[in-house]
Amino acid sequence: MAEGFVLKNARIWFKKKDAAKYISHLDLSRCMGRVLRICRIPVWYTEGFNPRVYMTFAMPLSLGISGERECMDIRLTEEFPFQEIQSRMNGHLPLGMQVLEVSEPICKFDQIQWAQYHYEWKAEDGSLLLHQLQELFSREAVIVSKHTKKGEKDFDIKPYFSPGSFDLQSSGLLAGVVTLPCSVSGSVNPGLLQDALKSCCGMEVLADVCRQKLLTKDFAEIR
Amino acid sequence: MYPKDVEKLLLKVQKPGRYVGGEINSVIKNKEEVRVRFAFCFPDTYEIGMSHLGLKILYGAMNQVPDFWCERVFAPWVDMEELMIENEIPLYALESGDPVKDFDIIGFTLQYELSYSNILNMLKLAGVPVKSCDRHDLFNLVVAGGPCACNPEPLADFVDLFFLGDGEEVDLEVMRLYQRCKEQGIKKQEFLHLASQIEGVYVPSLYEVSYREDGTIRSYTPKDGAPATVKKRIMMDLDQTYYPDYMVVPNIDIVHDRISEEVLRGCIRGCRFCQAGFLYRPFREKSIETIDAQCKALCESTGYDEISLASLSTSDYSRLNELIDKLHCWTVEKKVSLSLPSLRVDGFSPELMDRINSVRKSGLTFAPEAGSQRMRDVINKNVTEEELLHTVAVAFRAGWTKIKLYFMIGLPTETMEDIDAILKLGQKVVDAFYQEKDRPGGKGVEVTLSAAAFVPKPFTPFQWFGQDSMETLRKKQHALKDHIPSKRMTVNYHDAKTSYLEAVFARGDRRLGDVLELALERGIHFDGWESCFDFEKWMSLFEELGIDPDFYCARHREFSEVLPWDHLDYGIKKEFLERECRRAFEGKTTPNCREKCSGCGAACYGGGLCVEKRADLV
Ligand code: SF4
Repeated sequence: MAEGFVLKNARIWFKKKDAAKYISHLDLSRCMGRVLRICRIPVWYTEGFNPRVYMTFAMPLSLGISGERECMDIRLTEEFPFQEIQSRMNGHLPLGMQVLEVSEPICKFDQIQWAQYHYEWKAEDGSLLLHQLQELFSREAVIVSKHTKKGEKDFDIKPYFSPGSFDLQSSGLLAGVVTLPCSVSGSVNPGLLQDALKSCCGMEVLADVCRQKLLTKDFAEIR
Repeated sequence: MYPKDVEKLLLKVQKPGRYVGGEINSVIKNKEEVRVRFAFCFPDTYEIGMSHLGLKILYGAMNQVPDFWCERVFAPWVDMEELMIENEIPLYALESGDPVKDFDIIGFTLQYELSYSNILNMLKLAGVPVKSCDRHDLFNLVVAGGPCACNPEPLADFVDLFFLGDGEEVDLEVMRLYQRCKEQGIKKQEFLHLASQIEGVYVPSLYEVSYREDGTIRSYTPKDGAPATVKKRIMMDLDQTYYPDYMVVPNIDIVHDRISEEVLRGCIRGCRFCQAGFLYRPFREKSIETIDAQCKALCESTGYDEISLASLSTSDYSRLNELIDKLHCWTVEKKVSLSLPSLRVDGFSPELMDRINSVRKSGLTFAPEAGSQRMRDVINKNVTEEELLHTVAVAFRAGWTKIKLYFMIGLPTETMEDIDAILKLGQKVVDAFYQEKDRPGGKGVEVTLSAAAFVPKPFTPFQWFGQDSMETLRKKQHALKDHIPSKRMTVNYHDAKTSYLEAVFARGDRRLGDVLELALERGIHFDGWESCFDFEKWMSLFEELGIDPDFYCARHREFSEVLPWDHLDYGIKKEFLERECRRAFEGKTTPNCREKCSGCGAACYGGGLCVEKRADLV
């Protein structure tokens, strides 16, 4: 570490799409650690027997869901231009990933309360699917089973989703935006809607789901 | 990249990251600009294939050439395979996402016999005719290399040509020849003839085999000017041999997720059961400077924080301490740790352990291979009980409490006493712990004895030996399991059935091709995986075809018998193997190559340890 330098936090904003959406959260942190090393960014390591590149991620992203603007924090051990971090990393990321910006962190990650997801349903007949969703959500409750640490649990997703979020596009596809709880104290997985279609209606519909933004309790984008 | 249609399958399978490519350092070229496309197929899952060093070396070597593009292909796991078939998606390569059937050359690496069924299955998934004779044009050429190519006969009907020995040069030569022939419109047959003239290339269709009435081989007759014996290729100067300065860094966790730096090739030891120890002779070391430079380059390009100093026996590197000193000059600061893949009983010291990081205090593994000294002499494993007990005592003093010992059962001349000696040796290790005054406190010692069934392999002194029957092996396994003398000890072993099938194919001949073909038809694959391996199904194939598997695995051969690999030359003289075999049965050991040359024949390559001055020879 450069003498007298106080560790400086840097927030890396990145995209994680296409092939990269199949990188699990654990693998992502391994991968980012290596990329930072390849790029020779002067990062701070955790102390102890097994030093690791210090990284914290905002919110884990489920396997198969894209991230439009994800973020992670690192600590720099010396003055290093943010622009340089971005350009170096962009030459060495797995396909589907890109650093969008590096900034000084303003919010804390525990301020995140919500996430905004964009859905694009891959059903050929969008209007039929919309109809199905309307029927599903006219029920008293929409119960799916949810993986928890204590095993499978029944969970009612009705309060979180509404068919009104989706519109028919000119392409005939159904698409729209849904905002869901997403915080350290608990999140709703956007994939549960597909699970509900499958378990309640027997419909297996593929959807491109992309997390667009992470939001604070006032629905402001975190910075 | 992956084909578009695959998207809808990916969330339905385990570990979709296996099927998408796009990893750091994967090589993407413009297919319009390359002349020869090579699909490097590893006949097992992504995690296993990506851990394999040979793939990384040859991937780099081929892609260095602007005209060539080598891409990776792995066997899709059963869940994905089923969906691919259902959705009519042919096997594809991870770099371009293009179907394997679009590739000029389809290459397989032969690491273990139990992957043969996967090779045929991958060709089928690719939509490529599995038999060489059904691929008429000079396209979709199927090639294979790796250790099992030393007896490739069971695959002779399916593979157009085999690479024997080190692949760094010969693979490229064949690709260049292919390119020339393709551009000049030369026919496949003529290409194969030309290829057979390259040292290290074996074209099975250019050899006619005749059999005797008793089913043994009468002769191999070369046709079309093919050489009577095919010599393996060898890279004598490892400092001058291509080694990649990058490796593809997987996005998902794999078996060996670290840099592998090969520090030497070959082995000085001459353990009589070990095929690799003979195939890769002579012993050749890389210089410290080369290793150091290669490690640096690999760390810079991959971001890995661990380097494994890989080889058959890294503790035999002549200047290991000096090497580690040199690497420590920069690895410590860069927070890169070093590891050794295996440890010799006599190569262990706490000082060494302090300097390499991989072996956690929890467990140490050694391979005495046999329980009694008599048995160890037979297999030429020159380790004494005293050395082992000394080593474990040192380890206990230094804080280790878990010891795993590897053994083989079913070795030539083995008796039940030798089996019993395995348990006795285990007990002595337990006792050594409690006799040690400075032993670590806590839960006490744990000793695991792991007993693998011996499989006789070609190009070893035991290549004539008939494997123990499954019944005998099971008896020996039970003798171990039922008489464990201490609660501190556990015994592990594998089902004898896999070793049986492995032994059939290891020393099989061309007639086994029919079995493999029928196995493909019956949907047999992933035999190396317990969840897929179906022994009874295999046995029914042999029966149906009237082929006796015992002929291949259980039969003792005469020294005079023509073996299916006799026309392949790995530099080891058959007379030497015979001499070693006789010595084994007499219980006589043979010194290692560093102590004394035993004249195996590998000195014909004129390099490595064979030509070095030994202290006692000056
Ligand atoms: S020729 Fe001698 S030194 Fe060389 S590998 Fe053979 S036995 Fe060892």
